[in-house]
Amino acid sequence: MLNLLCVCHNGMGTSMLLKINVTNICNENGISATVEACAHGEAMSFLMNTDIVLTSPEIVEFLPATDAKIIATTNLMDKAEVTRLLVDAVKEHFPNEIS
Amino acid sequence: MDYILDLLLKQIFGQPFLLLAIVVFIGYIAMKQTVGKAIIGAFKASIGILVMGMGSGALIANFGKLLTALQNATGIQGAGLNTYPTMTASYEKMDAILGEGTGATWGIYVLLVAFLMNLVLVALRKWTKIRAVYLTGNAMIVQCGISTYIVWRFLGTGMVPTVLIASLITALYWGICSTALIKPTKVITGGADLTVAHQQMFMSYVAYKVAPKLGNPEDDIEKKKMPKSLNFLQDSVLATLLVMLISTAVIMLVIGKDGVDWLRSADGFNQGGYKNFIVFLLWISITLTANIWVLLAGVRMFVGELMMSFKGISEKLLPGAVAGVDCAAIFGFAPKSVVLGLICGAIGQILGLVLLLVFKSPIFLVPGFIPLFFDNATVAIFANKFGGYKAAAGICVVNGLIQILGSMLAVSMMELTWWQGSADYATVWVGIIAIFKLIGSALGIPVAG
Repeated sequence: MLNLLCVCHNGMGTSMLLKINVTNICNENGISATVEACAHGEAMSFLMNTDIVLTSPEIVEFLPATDAKIIATTNLMDKAEVTRLLVDAVKEHFPNEIS
Repeated sequence: MDYILDLLLKQIFGQPFLLLAIVVFIGYIAMKQTVGKAIIGAFKASIGILVMGMGSGALIANFGKLLTALQNATGIQGAGLNTYPTMTASYEKMDAILGEGTGATWGIYVLLVAFLMNLVLVALRKWTKIRAVYLTGNAMIVQCGISTYIVWRFLGTGMVPTVLIASLITALYWGICSTALIKPTKVITGGADLTVAHQQMFMSYVAYKVAPKLGNPEDDIEKKKMPKSLNFLQDSVLATLLVMLISTAVIMLVIGKDGVDWLRSADGFNQGGYKNFIVFLLWISITLTANIWVLLAGVRMFVGELMMSFKGISEKLLPGAVAGVDCAAIFGFAPKSVVLGLICGAIGQILGLVLLLVFKSPIFLVPGFIPLFFDNATVAIFANKFGGYKAAAGICVVNGLIQILGSMLAVSMMELTWWQGSADYATVWVGIIAIFKLIGSALGIPVAG
């Protein structure tokens, strides 16, 4: 079971929509995961327990140092692109979590 | 029979924490999720709305002490600018007269009906020209709450007419404004099939139309270098604290020693132990920030569940509709405009606050991070894209100014201790409130709440 974290500025709008998309992507691609959303200002408390972070490039530099894999893409609403990046990352780093 | 009616109407469908759970449960089932998932989602939504109430109840009470001290010392009425507490403060006003839980219950019905009306308006796009479905749930709940309060306050209507009228104005605002932004959003995102659905849509449209006349889109700030030292201002938790710290310090200086002593007393915060001014100032600002954080954590627990259903239903029923999403979804396309908007909007808001003081306005406002940051960042993106950074800077200073002056007008009509503060709620919605006020007084309806 992977822990995924969607990060935006306030953790309410964009990251929440992304969370919905990512949940669907995981279901459709056989990735077992729980998905959370938060603001970058509070990401610290989530990161200890996160395997993959999904966010946009300008937010990456706000994130505290972390061992989690970071996926950044400019258009977070582009489901096809997020799917490609997420599936590739899971296959590369967590091959046991995808069926 | 009476027992069953009371159970259904008052204790279940009249209680926000159960009503929301039922809505979420139906949403999950409609999305063909398992019953287990639906039950978990429903309970989380229940917990979320109560957590939100705890945060907002403490926030409104604590902030109210500061405002009381300010009013006692100077006669000036104060209000804070932040989106979510405006919704809960509206509900508190309604609950005080109609009974506990009524405001939020009506608000949830408005949310559902307004969403359905938005879908109908898009389904009839051949005639309405409305093509966008508003999916930003966190903004939807707030806007529905405020609409509910506007209609009830000025028309004094019961539940059904209040819900219908409030839903209609909200759905029209969503549909018209987010549809107007489809074209410019497509340019900004390089062809993505989405539009901005938030609370500065009208001002973004104005920026899109006015910016080309003020500047040159070739002066694109995204192609320029910017210092990174200002980045900490984008941390929502820290920036909220910073604004609270400055505002509380100003209020404490204005109310003087007697006022601060009152704040320490049992009538105030009951914190006689904080004898040091700085420590007391820090305690108040950090407490207020913590209250806001609890409120946001509560909203986060249920808003995702609602959005999932809205998004799924919209995609199923109207596959051709354009998704209206959170303004921050386009921030990644123009990160430097975001910072420019924040700085210039802050300058405009400070200018507005100085004007309030100079002209001895009977109302003073405490700025908030959400309307300051998200609105000016979004307006700056539209202005920069179509008129370059000089146009964006100018438009955002004016926007910050309008946010303060327009909100002052709104607070004077709504008599709340919190106001939305965002650009559309300082322009379009001030007009809508004025129209409802006019209709109410023309019909001789006494103002409620």
